Amino acid sequence: MRGTLTRRLGTYTLLATLILSYLFLYLPILHIGLGSFARNHTFPYPPRWTLDTFGRLFGNSLYQTAFFNSLVLGIGAAALATVLAAAATLGLMRHAGRRAGLYLALFIAPLFVAEVLVGIASLIFNGLLLQLQGNLVSAILANAVHCFSYALLIMATQLYRYDWRLDDAAMVFGASPLRTFFEVTLPLIWPGLLGAFVVTFIMAFNNLEISFYLLGATPTLPSVAWGALRYGVKPELYALATAVNLVVILGLGVMFVLMLTGKARFGHRPERARAV
Amino acid sequence: MYITLDGVSRQYDSIWAVDRVTMGIGKNEFVSLLGPSGSGKTTLLRIIAGLEKPTTGRVLIDGEDVTDLPPHKRGVAMVFQEFLLFPHRTVSENLAFPLRMMKLPAAEIAERVAWVVGILSLGGLEKRYPNQLSGGQQQRVALGRGLVGRPKALLLDEPLANLDRELRQEMEVEIRRHQSALGIPFIYVTHNQEEALSMSDRIAVVRKGRIEDFAARTDIYDRPKTAFIAQFVGRSNRFEGTVDAAGRHVATRCGTILALPAPLTAGHAVQLFIKNEKLRLAPDDGTDGASHGANRLACTVKDVILRGAYADYILAFGDRELNASRPRSERAFLSGEAVIAHLNPEDIDLFDMDGERPS
Repeated sequence: MRGTLTRRLGTYTLLATLILSYLFLYLPILHIGLGSFARNHTFPYPPRWTLDTFGRLFGNSLYQTAFFNSLVLGIGAAALATVLAAAATLGLMRHAGRRAGLYLALFIAPLFVAEVLVGIASLIFNGLLLQLQGNLVSAILANAVHCFSYALLIMATQLYRYDWRLDDAAMVFGASPLRTFFEVTLPLIWPGLLGAFVVTFIMAFNNLEISFYLLGATPTLPSVAWGALRYGVKPELYALATAVNLVVILGLGVMFVLMLTGKARFGHRPERARAV
Repeated sequence: MYITLDGVSRQYDSIWAVDRVTMGIGKNEFVSLLGPSGSGKTTLLRIIAGLEKPTTGRVLIDGEDVTDLPPHKRGVAMVFQEFLLFPHRTVSENLAFPLRMMKLPAAEIAERVAWVVGILSLGGLEKRYPNQLSGGQQQRVALGRGLVGRPKALLLDEPLANLDRELRQEMEVEIRRHQSALGIPFIYVTHNQEEALSMSDRIAVVRKGRIEDFAARTDIYDRPKTAFIAQFVGRSNRFEGTVDAAGRHVATRCGTILALPAPLTAGHAVQLFIKNEKLRLAPDDGTDGASHGANRLACTVKDVILRGAYADYILAFGDRELNASRPRSERAFLSGEAVIAHLNPEDIDLFDMDGERPS
C-alpha cells in the first residue's frame, strides 16, 4: 500500500512540475498571442476579439520594409557564416594537424566578445578604415562574425562523426575531389550545414545589438520594435510577435509531419534502420 | 611487369613508413603483402592507389608512370577493411558508382551491376542500404564495387579482417576465383598468414617498411629467407646455440645437441627454427636405442589441443616448451606421456643471430 502511495505521489509531483515548467515557458507567449487578437491588448482577460492589430501591422509599410530588410540580413549573414564555417571546419578536420586546437580557439573567440562591442568595433572599423557606410551590407558582415563561430561549432559536432575515408573510397572509384564533395561528402553532411544556417539565420534576423550600430538608417524588425518601444507597447508589436511565433510553429509543424510520414529525411542516420 | 614499384619510399616526420621498395607484379598475379601491423603494408597499397604520394620513387601501372596521377585517374579499385560503402546509397547505387564515374551509358551500367549482383549472389538486396546488411553482405558489396568497373588492378586492404572465421574461409575461395576469372592483378594486404598462404601466387613479407622477401608462397613457407619470416609465417619452435668445433652440430642454450643440415664455421652463433608440424613424435618406451642422441628430445606431453584433423601438443622439454602439430591419423599421445621429439636436420631453418641465412 505504502509503495503505491509513494509512487502515485511521485507521478503527481512529476506531472505538476511538467505542467508548471510549460506554463512558465509558454504563458508569456500565450498572453501576447491573446493580446494581439484583442481590442483590450494590454490586459485581454476576457479578450474583446478583433483583427485590427494585424490590419495595422500589415498596413504599416515601415514594418514591411523592416521585415524584408531583416530577411535579407538574416539570409545574407547566415549564408556567409555557413559557407565560411564549412570551409573552416573542413580545414580544421582535414588539414590543420597539430595546430587544430589553436585555430579552433581563434575561430570561436568572437563568442566571448559582447555583441555590443562587436557592433561598436565593427562600426569604427567599417567607418574609419573601409569607408563603409552604415547599411545592410556592413550589418551582414558584422553579424557574420559571431554567426560564423556558432556555425562552426554546430558543424564541427556533425562533421566529427563523418568518416573521411569515404572520400578516399569515392576517389579510388573515379570521382574527382569536386565530384567527391557533391556525390558523397555533401549528401552526408548537409544536415549540419542546414542546422548551422537555420540557427545563424535566426540569430542575425533577431539581432539588435550588433545591427543597431551598423544599419545606419535601414530599418529591421528588431530595430523598429526597439524604436517603437519609446512610445509605449503598441498593438502592432503584439501582432508582430504573434505573427513571428505563428511562422515558427507552422515551420516546425510542417517538418514534424514530413518526418512522421517519411516524406523527407533530415539527415542520414545509420542507427535508424538497423533491424531488417 | 604489369605493375612496377621502383624505389618507392614514404616518409612521415622522421619515420620511413615505406623504405625503398622495388617490386614487379604480373597481370594475372595474386600477390599478398604480409606483415605485422605498422609494417607499412597499407601505406604501400595506398601509394599504389594514389591516396598517398611517395616521397621518392615511381609507380608504374600497365607501362604508364602514374606517380603524379591522382587516384581517380589511375583506373584501379580498392576494397577497404571497413568496407566504406556509401551509407546514403543503396546496394545497386553503390555498385553503379564506379560505372557512373566512368560515364558509361545507363544500359551498360544496369547490365554490369546485374552481372556483379549475380556473381556475388547479392540478388534481392539491390534496394537495401548498407546499414541494412550483415557484415558478410557488406563485404560482398564492397568486393562487387571493386570488380564492377573491371579495374586495371584490385587493391584489397585487409578485407576479411572484420568477418568471422567461417565466412572468411568462404570469401577466401571466392576472392581467389574472381581473380583468376577476371585476369587482373589482386594486391592483398593482410597480417593474417593463413589468408596470404591460401590465396596468393606470391607473397611479399613486409617488415619495417621494407620487403623482407618476395617469393612464391611455398618458398615463403618452406624455405624462409630470414629469421623474421621463419618466425612470422607458420608456427615454429626456435632454438639458439653455437656451432661446435667440428662444425657439424649446434649446442643449444637448453643443453641439446642438434645436427646441422650442412657444415658451418665453428663457434658461429646461430638461431634455428623448426615448424611445429615437422616435429615428429614417438613414444619414449626405451625401445628406441638412440633416444637421447642428437636431434632427439625427450619431452613430456603437457597438454593436447584438438584441431579436428590435427592435434597440437604442448611438450615440456627441460624448463621450456615445445610445440608439435601431428595429424590425427597418427598415434595419439595423452597428457603426462613421455615422448621423443625428433627433428630431421633437413627440416631445420638456420640463421645468423642477425636473421640472415649464413653464407
